[in-house]
Amino acid sequence: MQQSLINIWVLALSTMIEGMRHKALWAIVVFAIIISMTNIFVTNLFSYDLGKVSIEFGLSSVALTGLLLVFFLGMKILADDLEHNRIYMLISRPVSVGQYITGKFFGLGLILLIGTTIIGLGSTLSMKYVLFRYAPFVPPDFSWTTYVMALSCQWMSLLVVLAVSFLCFCFAKQPFVALLLAVSSYLVGQNLELLRRVINENPYTGALAGQEKLVFALSWIFPNLSYFDKKSVAAYGLLFSGQEFLFLCLYCISYCALMLYLATLLFNRKELA
Amino acid sequence: MPPAIQIDQINKSFLSGRTTNYALNNLSLIIQKGEVFGFLGPNGAGKSTTIKLLLHFLRPDSGTMQIMGNTIGRDEFRHQIGYLSEFPCFYDHLSATETLMLAGRLSGMSKNTLHIRIPELLARMGLSDAANRRVGGFSKGMKQRLGMANALIHNPQILIFDEPMSGLDPIGRHLIKDIILELKKLGKTIFFSSHILSDIQALCDRIGIIHKGKLLYDGKLADFIQNDHLEDRFVAMIEENDRAAISH
Repeated sequence: MQQSLINIWVLALSTMIEGMRHKALWAIVVFAIIISMTNIFVTNLFSYDLGKVSIEFGLSSVALTGLLLVFFLGMKILADDLEHNRIYMLISRPVSVGQYITGKFFGLGLILLIGTTIIGLGSTLSMKYVLFRYAPFVPPDFSWTTYVMALSCQWMSLLVVLAVSFLCFCFAKQPFVALLLAVSSYLVGQNLELLRRVINENPYTGALAGQEKLVFALSWIFPNLSYFDKKSVAAYGLLFSGQEFLFLCLYCISYCALMLYLATLLFNRKELA
Repeated sequence: MPPAIQIDQINKSFLSGRTTNYALNNLSLIIQKGEVFGFLGPNGAGKSTTIKLLLHFLRPDSGTMQIMGNTIGRDEFRHQIGYLSEFPCFYDHLSATETLMLAGRLSGMSKNTLHIRIPELLARMGLSDAANRRVGGFSKGMKQRLGMANALIHNPQILIFDEPMSGLDPIGRHLIKDIILELKKLGKTIFFSSHILSDIQALCDRIGIIHKGKLLYDGKLADFIQNDHLEDRFVAMIEENDRAAISH
């Protein structure tokens, strides 16, 4: 194996081990499992569409806790590298900034994968119980394959947010500012598609009227996270084609690659005083 | 044959708000292969800045630096150096063995070589009992010794130590001193900064004295001391320089 690939793999593995042994990870996972279990009680509050509520609730809990993992574990590990000068230990060796950033990204991405799997499993168990107990409310076209695809989309969406966080981290001087930028980018990315539709389909949009080009440009800058939101598709048993899934995979890979490339360019200009 | 380290007319400043602080002013140094070079100076003199420039953590405003003939910032040179920072920081949740495995693998060593090298180094540093303990629970002295193992893992030709004795107890200092002397016998080039003058006196062939970013002395230790105490000569030189700066 080429040394650059070894470097990326070794950095990813050590980041993953460091993250997996971090108390914050397990606190978030326990929180997620508790939320998943409340699915059973929350669903009981509804008198109809119990199955849909349960599926949406389960996937939402994965999304929420995944974000907590990105913002409070992933960004903390990155910030600690710089604030505690741990990065000196790594880049005093023949490791390029690109390898460092890519290795860190893969390591945190693996933590997110493990986290999403554990939390997804918790949600699935609670959903299984609800769907078993209220069998008449199971959506007619519900498919576990679509559910797993929706869960995978959730993970891809977290990867995109993580990549944006890396860029914010390399751009900002303070970790707190980086966190604010990353959260803001997430909020914009989550609502951009809705804004685009409102402006395109409604001529009475107040101050935003006639700003189609601006919103179009923003939609190319910020990640369109609503593409990855397949909660309703899974809950209502709607069609989720393999082609669309493949498109989302390509979108995730290309967007992450672009963000990491830009992060590397910015980090290369940074001085590690 | 190129010198081990060559620093040529380096200038470095930092922006602090609207003011510019000049950390290094036309610094030039040459350190030959196999030399133990002590870099002395009061706090804030520019010692750590010089080391960070050598490791390419910082970029100079002007001037060039070379390590074994490789220009820093242009050529890859880092496989030839081992670095120990003043406050070594590691991943808290990795064990000492995992930390050294990470460092060794990043330096291009194979797993098999590391399985032999790591226990040897940990034993030399007196850390065998802590090999599988997480680094987060290590004392300052243990971290410093692990940092030394980390710098030596890939058997580099040039060693750059920033205050290697800082925070160590007398036993730890003695251990690090012994290791530096062993490395000297092996013909390694060692560049280290310190303000513990007795250590400098015990270990160095040549010294450089830096104050407020300017190199005040660069030469043999014996020539500098001239039958006096190093501390007295050092303090006299700094005070003389300060008086000269005030009178200007």
